[in-house]
Amino acid sequence: MAYSNKVIDHYNNPRNVGSLDKSSSEVGTGLVGAPECGDVMKLQIKVNRETQVIEEAKFKTFGCGSAIASSSLATEWVKGKTVDEALAIKNTDIVRELSLPPVKIHCSVLAEDAIRAAIRDWKTKQGEPQPAPATAGKTTA
Amino acid sequence: MRASLFCEACGKVQPPAPADYFAYFGLPRKLRIDVAALESEFYRLSRKLHPDLYARASAREQEWSTERSSLLNDAYRTLRDPIARTEYLLGLEGMHLEEQSKAATDQARETGEAKKQVVPPELLEEVFELNMQLQELRMARQAGEAADDQVVSDLQAARKNFEERLQALQAELEKLWTEWDEKMEQGEEPSPGSRPVLSAMVDVLNRRSYIRNLLRDVNAELQAAGPDSLS
Repeated sequence: MAYSNKVIDHYNNPRNVGSLDKSSSEVGTGLVGAPECGDVMKLQIKVNRETQVIEEAKFKTFGCGSAIASSSLATEWVKGKTVDEALAIKNTDIVRELSLPPVKIHCSVLAEDAIRAAIRDWKTKQGEPQPAPATAGKTTA
Repeated sequence: MRASLFCEACGKVQPPAPADYFAYFGLPRKLRIDVAALESEFYRLSRKLHPDLYARASAREQEWSTERSSLLNDAYRTLRDPIARTEYLLGLEGMHLEEQSKAATDQARETGEAKKQVVPPELLEEVFELNMQLQELRMARQAGEAADDQVVSDLQAARKNFEERLQALQAELEKLWTEWDEKMEQGEEPSPGSRPVLSAMVDVLNRRSYIRNLLRDVNAELQAAGPDSLS
């Protein structure tokens, strides 16, 4: 399958690969997966509590080129945005930017899931009450 | 002779009609199937439908036999494989894995609630950690370091672990097949009573795809560590 130039660029030069201190109260971590292909994606953000601005973002993805490109782009996009602005990023924005073909749309869904999961984790750490996750019987502290 | 494939009166091949793979073989939508019987039926139909037999027939018949043959091959390949068969049935019953995931994301976006994750978080953690370790091994190998005995025995243990879990998932899946088949035998309509069974199958298949990938990657790493390490 032919990847678009933007996917190839992110794949060859992924932005913001790495990790942040998971235990820090300023850091939110999202770990999500796409079972259709067995991909896993970890996305972390460091948020300024005063301004709510995401100052740093890192990711590590095990998956295909489109999954890596989607998460690389996601870290670029969330950096400098407030938490609320970042929550407005939709998977279709990523599809458009990277010209993903229909069979790779799930990669963009994964990236959006990762952003949401990271922000949720950060909010939980700030002591904001979160709606309980829909997974069986789990509640957040 | 099968009326849907051949003309009852003259025995000539008939145009392809829309049918699911189960119906194509005259089977009910059940998941436990007699693979040996499926195979002999496949060979029997293959011989009758083979395009070579229609070399002197009309252009229309030639075309139909080609289309039928290719459909027959697809149907056989799908039904004989337990996983492909299960996925195919889920699709027929309207359980499209990818659409479900996308719909769950849309819902999370609208409600602000956490997305319903389809596999347990512990499994994701495990998959992520193992991938990190495999990547380190690959990088060490590319830097020219030979895998030491400890690494090889760790990989072998991981492989054994994943093989056992694949087997356990297979057993779990087969239990669900039985439940589904019983509902089919009772003539129960596929929805909504049998939805939980189908959802449980999706759940098993989701977990399975992670374990399958890990096993594949561990095997690749063992292969790279040297042919002796595979045994």
